[in-house]
Amino acid sequence: MSGGSNREIHGIAASPGVAVGVALVLDRRRVSIPRRHIGEEDVDREIQRLRDAVVAARVQLRELRERVSPEAGEHTLILDAHLLMLDDALLLEQAESAIRVDRVNAEWGLRRTVENIKVLFDRSGVDYFRERRSDIDFVGERVLREMMGGSSPIAPLREVEGPVILVAHELSPADTAALAHNDVLAFVTDVGSATSHTAIMARALSIPAVVGAADATREIATGDLVVVNGLRGVVTVTPDAAAAQRATDRGDRYQAFVRSLRSNHADPAFTRCGQRVGLRANIELPAEAAVAIDHGADGIGLYRTEFLYIDRSQPPTEEEQYEVFRRIVEMMAPRRVTLRTFDLGGDKFSTAFRIPKELNPALGVRAVRLALREPEVFRAQLRAMLRAAVWGEVRVMVPMVSTLTELRAARAQLDLARAELRAQGEAFGDVPFGIMVETPSAVILADHLAREADFFSIGTNDLMQYAFAIDRGNEHVAHLARALDPVILRCISQVARAAEAAKIDCSICGAMAGELLAVPILLGLGVLELSVEPTAVPEIKASIARIDLASARALADEALGLGTADEVEALVRARFGGLLADLLAAGDVNGDDAEALILAAPSPGGVSGVGGGGGGGGAHSRMSLRIFSSACSWSCRMRSRDRLYLSPISFSVSSSSWSRPKRQRMIRASIGESVSRSRRSSSDHAVFATCSKGDGVTSSWRKSM
Amino acid sequence: MDAHETFEVLNERGLHARPATRVVQTASRFRSEVTLERDDQSANAKSVMGVLLLLCPKGSKVVVRAQGDDAAEAVAAIGQLFQSGFGESG
Repeated sequence: MSGGSNREIHGIAASPGVAVGVALVLDRRRVSIPRRHIGEEDVDREIQRLRDAVVAARVQLRELRERVSPEAGEHTLILDAHLLMLDDALLLEQAESAIRVDRVNAEWGLRRTVENIKVLFDRSGVDYFRERRSDIDFVGERVLREMMGGSSPIAPLREVEGPVILVAHELSPADTAALAHNDVLAFVTDVGSATSHTAIMARALSIPAVVGAADATREIATGDLVVVNGLRGVVTVTPDAAAAQRATDRGDRYQAFVRSLRSNHADPAFTRCGQRVGLRANIELPAEAAVAIDHGADGIGLYRTEFLYIDRSQPPTEEEQYEVFRRIVEMMAPRRVTLRTFDLGGDKFSTAFRIPKELNPALGVRAVRLALREPEVFRAQLRAMLRAAVWGEVRVMVPMVSTLTELRAARAQLDLARAELRAQGEAFGDVPFGIMVETPSAVILADHLAREADFFSIGTNDLMQYAFAIDRGNEHVAHLARALDPVILRCISQVARAAEAAKIDCSICGAMAGELLAVPILLGLGVLELSVEPTAVPEIKASIARIDLASARALADEALGLGTADEVEALVRARFGGLLADLLAAGDVNGDDAEALILAAPSPGGVSGVGGGGGGGGAHSRMSLRIFSSACSWSCRMRSRDRLYLSPISFSVSSSSWSRPKRQRMIRASIGESVSRSRRSSSDHAVFATCSKGDGVTSSWRKSM
Repeated sequence: MDAHETFEVLNERGLHARPATRVVQTASRFRSEVTLERDDQSANAKSVMGVLLLLCPKGSKVVVRAQGDDAAEAVAAIGQLFQSGFGESG
């Protein structure tokens, strides 16, 4: 492998770690088919080709079905359904008639038929039927592949011995079944986001994954040696010996880093001076609860219930929601779970509601406003939450409350929901009732709200948008809103003080809580409860353990008096940058570059931590910066399931020219632009930056925005 | 021989892929021609695509009709599936 090509494919870092191994490609990409019209004399031949292909596809599916172990009951049924579809008269008759009547070749005829059937399912407006589209697609593609001779077995698992790196267009439940008995070192998929099935599974298994790596299945062949860097979101195909060794080392360092973080796994988070800090996880899918526990979270600080409403024509029933909530609450018990009522509208749409078309949806019927317009739907959810509280400690939180009247109206609905349950003789538990503080009005009125709410949770993402009057989706302005801006710090400080005066809990569940540089300030401002993405829990816990409250408070006091985000950031770096350096670099303290870069980093608009190693010894070493960002939140899940990453932008800049202000400004502008472009499609995202120096990667880091 | 009877879809998720698979597997055991009818549409009960495309959500009424020497048995067997909610909860 010494003559490797080192080709790189960039995607989204979906599960951290670095793995080196042999690829196994599950080719599920849609084949591109020849389309041609045929003469009458060819009709019979084309029909025969179609029938032969169906027979061959059936043999393969049967084989796969036998290989799948009987305990995978669910999956066998799906494969049975596929087999039936393959034999289905409707599919075959329509395809044959397309060939005969429309005089098209077999591939075209079949593709057309599959598309027609998909349209019928689509029109149904019923989710369960719409889901079937993928099954029909799957069956159609199997047959097409057979016809085109390029048949790759569905899961050629026997061809590769030992552990593998799995490369696929996307992974379906059927694939998962087929993989049950294989050792998988890492996953790579063409499509997907950080919340896709593959990503969640990988994190649960603690193996690296890169998703949204466009063309991975085209670029990688089964048997290729590949490096999967789940920290950077990069896959290297056929690395040379040196690159493979570097990757192995990086993987080892990461493992050591994780082990060192995990040593505190079972313990609650404490500051260096012994103050207990509540550290919980934000989740969206029930499956993530296990990930949260695994990463040592104290509970769920924010469960986004919106996903239950997405992609369906009717809101979920009370019973359906109750089952989901109960499962999570039971799994987390005795840890606390905070359920947030649906935050729909704004940039998150659901077909289950008829929200009027709005000129300005972020300021329109969203979250609690929608809930109060649809009280029946709202109470069904509240009843489900109350009932789930029988099974563990549950808190209920309402998003986007902007007036006291709204808080009272929402609480009245909760009281009504309780009365309804009582009347029905349903068991339910006691729940504290709190609000998200994410509008400037709620900040200004925090003292009043604190007297009537049972707790506060500050949603910094929305608060930033509304406080700065900056549309997060607008690339021209998005970079102007920064979490470390004194504006946001003052908001948080005011809310935290109001909560303290009223003796209620105050937590932060926005992306800011997962930002290493923000942690000391937040603690200093008096926020002792943080809720972050599940996988960020260990590093945030480690950072908390290095901070003592006295210096955090001094830092916060000083930061509140500053005028700009840049000044705040410089201050935090000066006070805490050294303490947190290895965390900021994800354990990569090898080479001083990472630390030097981060500590010395100036802050381009919207992006921090990108800088050049100016001055010092290698004054002429050329450095290149590569910035790309990954989107992982749920607006991307809704708008499209497609990959969401930016093509990396690369610069070559010498350390001497980096010091020239004009050159720096240019680079910062490009970075800022690329970051804000990704904001169009997502509200939470991270920027991954790598800095390489001729001979390969020397440092990389990640920053949540 | 001709037999038919009307059944209601009881399970929460309607006649989706797995129940449809069961219906087709069951219908295929009989020599009779079996159809499902809903509103003005009908489908061959031995075609999974046909059954799926009837798009029967929970609560819909479906006529199971069979023609052939084992028609009565076929209707009874498929009716059994409907009544058991296809072995799915709710």
